[in-house]
Amino acid sequence: MPVKWVLYWQPNQGSTVSTQILNEAAQCAESISGVKEGRWKATLNYYKPLLRDQSSTHHPDSLPRDFLGISLPDHPAKYYFIIRSQRIVVEADASIQIIMEKLQSYKSKVSLHFDGFQYHLGDFRLRVGRVVPVHSESIRGIVMEVEYLPISSMEKARKVMEEFVEIWHEALSKRSLSGKFVNVELNFGEFGLADNYTPQHTGVQYAIVMAHMIATVQPAVRG
Amino acid sequence: MQSLQQSQAANNQSEPDAPPKQVAQAMERLNQAARVIADIRLGADRILEAMFVASNPRHNDVPLQLFLREDASMRQHLQDLRSIGKKLEESGVLTASLRSRSNSWGLHMPLVCPDGAVVAYAWKRQLAGQAGASAVDRTRLALKAFTDQKRRFFPHIDDGHKMEPGSKKRRASHSLLEHGGEELVECKTLPDIQSRLEKLVPNVKVSTYGRLSWLKRASSLPESGSDDDPSEASKPIFQSSSKMRSGLQSEEVVDKVAVIELSFPSVFRAVVSLNPAGSVDPDAVAFFSLDEGGSYLHARGFSVHHVYKHITEHAATALQYFLGFGSGTALYSLLLWICSFESLFSKPCSKCGKLLAMDKKSALILPPLHRAYQELPLAVNLSVCEAYHAGCSPDDS
Repeated sequence: MPVKWVLYWQPNQGSTVSTQILNEAAQCAESISGVKEGRWKATLNYYKPLLRDQSSTHHPDSLPRDFLGISLPDHPAKYYFIIRSQRIVVEADASIQIIMEKLQSYKSKVSLHFDGFQYHLGDFRLRVGRVVPVHSESIRGIVMEVEYLPISSMEKARKVMEEFVEIWHEALSKRSLSGKFVNVELNFGEFGLADNYTPQHTGVQYAIVMAHMIATVQPAVRG
Repeated sequence: MQSLQQSQAANNQSEPDAPPKQVAQAMERLNQAARVIADIRLGADRILEAMFVASNPRHNDVPLQLFLREDASMRQHLQDLRSIGKKLEESGVLTASLRSRSNSWGLHMPLVCPDGAVVAYAWKRQLAGQAGASAVDRTRLALKAFTDQKRRFFPHIDDGHKMEPGSKKRRASHSLLEHGGEELVECKTLPDIQSRLEKLVPNVKVSTYGRLSWLKRASSLPESGSDDDPSEASKPIFQSSSKMRSGLQSEEVVDKVAVIELSFPSVFRAVVSLNPAGSVDPDAVAFFSLDEGGSYLHARGFSVHHVYKHITEHAATALQYFLGFGSGTALYSLLLWICSFESLFSKPCSKCGKLLAMDKKSALILPPLHRAYQELPLAVNLSVCEAYHAGCSPDDS
């Protein structure tokens, strides 16, 4: 599977995210000879445990609060669970969501959509998208996926990806936007993941990106 | 009455000929195809002559008439070739579709591989071998004649070589080669070349295949995970793939080495074809991603990724250069040069210092795809292979 980096938009101190940034990013992709390919969409759910028995042995606070599940557009038949604090990532069949609903053990407390446009730049594939809570139009953030199709080794692709992000930053800086796209360095080994890229790597990146976004990005007052 | 005739005609078409007749027909058609190809070559020569004559200011009609005549005859030849090709396709010669249909006669249809080489075997092997060999040879001669014509009549068209400054260097290098090329003389056989390469470049994986076993391997790629145990690869070099042929009589056919696969884990896979099989003369090379697979993975195929496609085009120029050096060093030089691409995704361009650059011609962001090859045939290691972007390369006109 080709290597992918997931970046998120970090607005400058005092600014907020808006759709305008998305449009600028789209235009920027076209300015470096990107070809628009269509839309993409992913869904992420934060789960919280439903405790029926108040006197259960598990204290509610000991259960992980960062348990999330994500469905990825390139793997529609699968669903990925991540518990970031425990460094766990699991691949399951997409039908597990039905089981979860039946079991009623964990309920989705926050549901987020990622959607936007996809671009082809030679051997690179770029996806820019906004983060919106389901049933809402207010943008919570902006993510960007960069994929380099010829390589599936994280290590081998590192320099190529770094330089591409530099080229991207340079192109974007011409548009004087108040913020920048940030890539989070993370140790995939801690999650039990190897050098060869897999959808689990994507899941973990999204989990980390969401954690950073929640910590640093103020939600927009108006979408 | 009419319907009986029609059904008879239909019957004649659908009634299968006896296998020996099928094979003989297929061989005959391949011979026809070879003759038409030779006619096309001659026609191309004549068209070039006509164009050359037309370029001289003479103001008469003769070259135009010549050109029109040759154009018409060329179109006829191409039409003939197309219809022969269609018949060959129907009889299963151009695909492997009939191979599995082994018949009780123990015969096999000749097979034209995706890269154009004809593999004919079984009891008509000798005849098939001659027809196949002559078809490939004629094509090579055609290509050589065309290239020579191009250089003679259109010298101003750049074919990737700077003729004037480079040729002086090459003449000097040639004499060096005659006097001091001891190390190169060692590498005359495939096992020598392979072991020398593996000593010089520790990370490379070299495997050799017969033409058919490569076809089989290519179609089964990519293997899930890492490809570290290709069952068809040979160790030692010359392998007998007699298990692939059913119904052979007494003699065992040794499938001569026709394909060399060079790979660097996580970087690329290169496929080199040797012609004739069993020799050390390379005639084509192509680069692919390690995640690609399918029957298009051969020395004349192209990768789906731009980066490998562009390198393959560049490699064709390098190969011509190495072949031009002569004295049988082409294969070793080519393989060594291919190894210089181990740094494809890590070594920045020697001119601009960056890894990625926007290629003006193709509007693509690419790493340095060029590796200098001019110094290579006499070099002892890969440090002479400077990396350049296509736009930064000193060869770029």
